[in-house]
Amino acid sequence: MKFGNLLKKELRELITLQAMMGMIFTMVLFIVMGQIMGGAMEEGFDTSTITLCNKDNSAFTDEVLDAVQASGETEINFVEIQSDDYAAELERLDIKNVVIIPEGFGNSVTVEKKPAQIQFVSQMQNGGLAGSMSTISASDIISIIQDVCMDEVLLENYGLTEADIELIREPMELIEYTTLNGKISKVSVMELTAVTMMQSMIAPMAIFFLLMMASQMIMTAISTEKIDKTLETLLSAPVSRLSVLGAKMVAAVISALLNAAFMIVGFAFYMIGMMGGAVEEITASTVLETTNLPVDAAALESVTSLPQAMAELGLTLTPVSYVLFAVQLFLTLAIGLAVSLILGAMATDIKSVQTLTMPIMIAVLIPFFITMFIDINELSGVLKLMAYAIPFTHTYTALTNLMNGDMLLFWGGLAYQIVFFVVCMFLAVKVFTTDKLFTMSVNFDAGMKKRGKKPVEE
Amino acid sequence: MATVLEVKELSKKYPKKTKFAAEKVSFTVEEGEIFALIGPNGAGKTTTIRMISTLINPTEGDALVAGHSIINEPDKVRENITYLPDEAGAYKTMKGIDYLNFMAGLFAKDKETLDKYVERGKAICGLGDRLNEKIGGYSRGMIRKLLLARAVMTSPKLAIMDEATSGLDVINALEIRKMIKTLAKEQNMAFLLSSHNMLEIEYVSDRVGIIADGHLMVVGTIDELKEKYEAANLEEVFERVVKNREIR
Repeated sequence: MKFGNLLKKELRELITLQAMMGMIFTMVLFIVMGQIMGGAMEEGFDTSTITLCNKDNSAFTDEVLDAVQASGETEINFVEIQSDDYAAELERLDIKNVVIIPEGFGNSVTVEKKPAQIQFVSQMQNGGLAGSMSTISASDIISIIQDVCMDEVLLENYGLTEADIELIREPMELIEYTTLNGKISKVSVMELTAVTMMQSMIAPMAIFFLLMMASQMIMTAISTEKIDKTLETLLSAPVSRLSVLGAKMVAAVISALLNAAFMIVGFAFYMIGMMGGAVEEITASTVLETTNLPVDAAALESVTSLPQAMAELGLTLTPVSYVLFAVQLFLTLAIGLAVSLILGAMATDIKSVQTLTMPIMIAVLIPFFITMFIDINELSGVLKLMAYAIPFTHTYTALTNLMNGDMLLFWGGLAYQIVFFVVCMFLAVKVFTTDKLFTMSVNFDAGMKKRGKKPVEE
Repeated sequence: MATVLEVKELSKKYPKKTKFAAEKVSFTVEEGEIFALIGPNGAGKTTTIRMISTLINPTEGDALVAGHSIINEPDKVRENITYLPDEAGAYKTMKGIDYLNFMAGLFAKDKETLDKYVERGKAICGLGDRLNEKIGGYSRGMIRKLLLARAVMTSPKLAIMDEATSGLDVINALEIRKMIKTLAKEQNMAFLLSSHNMLEIEYVSDRVGIIADGHLMVVGTIDELKEKYEAANLEEVFERVVKNREIR
């Protein structure tokens, strides 16, 4: 009954209406951002329409443009460019770019038999990647026009058959294989990397947010109680110190999980919103570019069979792996909480709480960045040892180790974390069940002159 | 009258300190008695009170609360005491009534007792409807009244209060002093107070212990001390004991 009472109080302190509003706001912000970004990316990647000004009225040009439209993939929006002041013209027509087929285009290819000129006017966009996407995808469409032109020239000028053209266009077929840890799959390594990269980004982000939130929560909870002296009131009541400690830790875990859930849902929607459309468009345009033909089922086979390829390469997690990862995640959280508890007990005021968050922040950030950009095993001996000495590193590498089947590394990391947790918990219990909770403090105000522990007394 | 608190040569030395914060402090508090520990800042009042409240462990000596040792039976001791620290706060996000419920829940063994404690708390604090508001919006005086009510609502054998009326205006402070006297008289509750306010101590206490430099210098009733030191009031006694180290 008393533990329940304590837990209820801790939860009410941590999960307030404001905290819930904050969580919902973060989630909604991610979702909205995803939609906005997704919209911008999709618009940028859009290869379905092209703005074109045809100043050449030759039969050849008409045939080319008909062929482009007949592919069913690209719709041509014809405009009239009336002057050479292209900047003003783009402004007037409210368009970002335009392809101009000048007069004499058809004549140059069919009669003069020399390369014709085609103009592409594009407005440079400020404001990031999405802005320049439309130019990139418009360039793709120009290459489609070029390919259709080539087909026409080969058909008309050299009398080749469609089968000949097909062979010229694709004299070879690329079959890609990817190997991983002795396993092999018939899949493009580029496509596989694109997918696994997204996965390997979400997990560390989740770990990072979870750890930071839980740590800050318990640190604030302990230090506020100490500073407000509510801890003295609480610990002079007939409750065991361990149940006070336990209630705080359980509440911080629940609250952190809730926070992380909101954030991850929001983040997942953000990724889906932003990348969903864009990935489809990239894939489709890549296929178009290489085959010059409408996307067919065979061309997309490698994309749709990605999950199968991932399974073949062992890049998917088994239920046992998920359980193992969950255990490690929980252990990570417990280590973070135990360390934060000790640090929180040292705080003498709110300012010192912020400073005391630093060690945790550094220990969480270093492996986060290392694992995001490089393989830890590629580090030199000492650096590798230093990275592995940070207990959180093992959590960031756990998913990769489980996928790659590096079980020795996984179990080693887990064992290290267990030992680390036991030591931290022993110290936390020692702090909480002895005088240290009230006598231990770090004086940051005097830090410039003398840094050290100062017992509180009267 | 039964002894509620028996302090036996209680000493405390903090780590890395050469001097004792409290040394061989001994005194007793009887049932229904109001005992005040007075002394200058850093004399060892809070250290002594914290040891009796089982918050910190003594280096030497012991204290018995209702017959239970603070060293060997701290759990039993906590069942018989309440402690109100100086300048203590309360959980700002909680409503006043929820705070009383929460604290009562730590002492009560069943729902009936819990409700009884909360009803008493509500009556004692005198905050009325404002108990339904969040503590974050309370004034310092309101918080102190709430905490005082919390400290006595469970009718502990010994209520330990560090600067009980700090932050309260004259009228509120008077009410609290009267309340302490009434509770001691009518419910036989014992109080261990610590204060800087000599007027308050003179009005409310049955006996006084003057502590200086970690040592309990003298103990007695107000009249006894005044007579012993041939002083007009407690302030004079205090000055002569603390400043001049006169031990009679």
